[in-house]
Amino acid sequence: MGVAKNPLPQIVLNALVVTAAELFLKIGARETANMSAGPSWTGITGLASIWTWLGMVFLVLSLFSWLYILRNVPLSVAFPLSHVVHVFIPLASWFFLHEIISTTRWLGIALLIVGLLIVAKPFARIEEKLL
Amino acid sequence: MKLFAFPLLFIAMLSFVVGQFFFKHAMDKSHQHGFSAEFYRFFIPGILSMTVSFFLTLGLLQHFDLSFVYPFQGLSVIIVSAAAAVILKEKVTLQLLAGALLISLGVVLVSFS
Repeated sequence: MGVAKNPLPQIVLNALVVTAAELFLKIGARETANMSAGPSWTGITGLASIWTWLGMVFLVLSLFSWLYILRNVPLSVAFPLSHVVHVFIPLASWFFLHEIISTTRWLGIALLIVGLLIVAKPFARIEEKLL
Repeated sequence: MKLFAFPLLFIAMLSFVVGQFFFKHAMDKSHQHGFSAEFYRFFIPGILSMTVSFFLTLGLLQHFDLSFVYPFQGLSVIIVSAAAAVILKEKVTLQLLAGALLISLGVVLVSFS
């Protein structure tokens, strides 16, 4: 297995897996929020929902996918780029769960996108040269 | 009460950053030697370090708002990038550091509700 030339697709895929995991966990938590059995503040009642289990499976998948990225990409690049999840998760919460995004949060998303583009730019250039 | 939170937030962030370095080192070893004892020598401390961070963060979330606890995670971006240059001798350009700084600020703003 060779060294990946462009790490961006792997990193975006990893972020999508994390986003899916968080959405599934939120749906699982919402479904079980009113269950009275057991000490509900521990979150253990969340296990009664299939969505919670699906979320946990996706979290484990995201760990393996992250380790694969680290195998090929410098930490100083992979780690900042992995924060694209902070763009995906609010947008997915807004789109799928109809949560409200405040003006401050929109501003944060905009800053994140600019920062991510700055970090990712050299890799896009490599891609252009290869083409 | 919040004063007591700062050392815990620092330890939670530090153990998260240390965990990432262990993972990176483990995966570099897997390149050279496959998934051998050398890999697990770094992978297991990585998992332990991340576990410490996870439970400290969970404990902090039991006492403080998410919008107070989570922005500190944003700082880890700039710390990891700078530390990767020093510890792993990775080539970190000014452009990358500027991008990492904006990402940090972005995470802080996104986390404030």
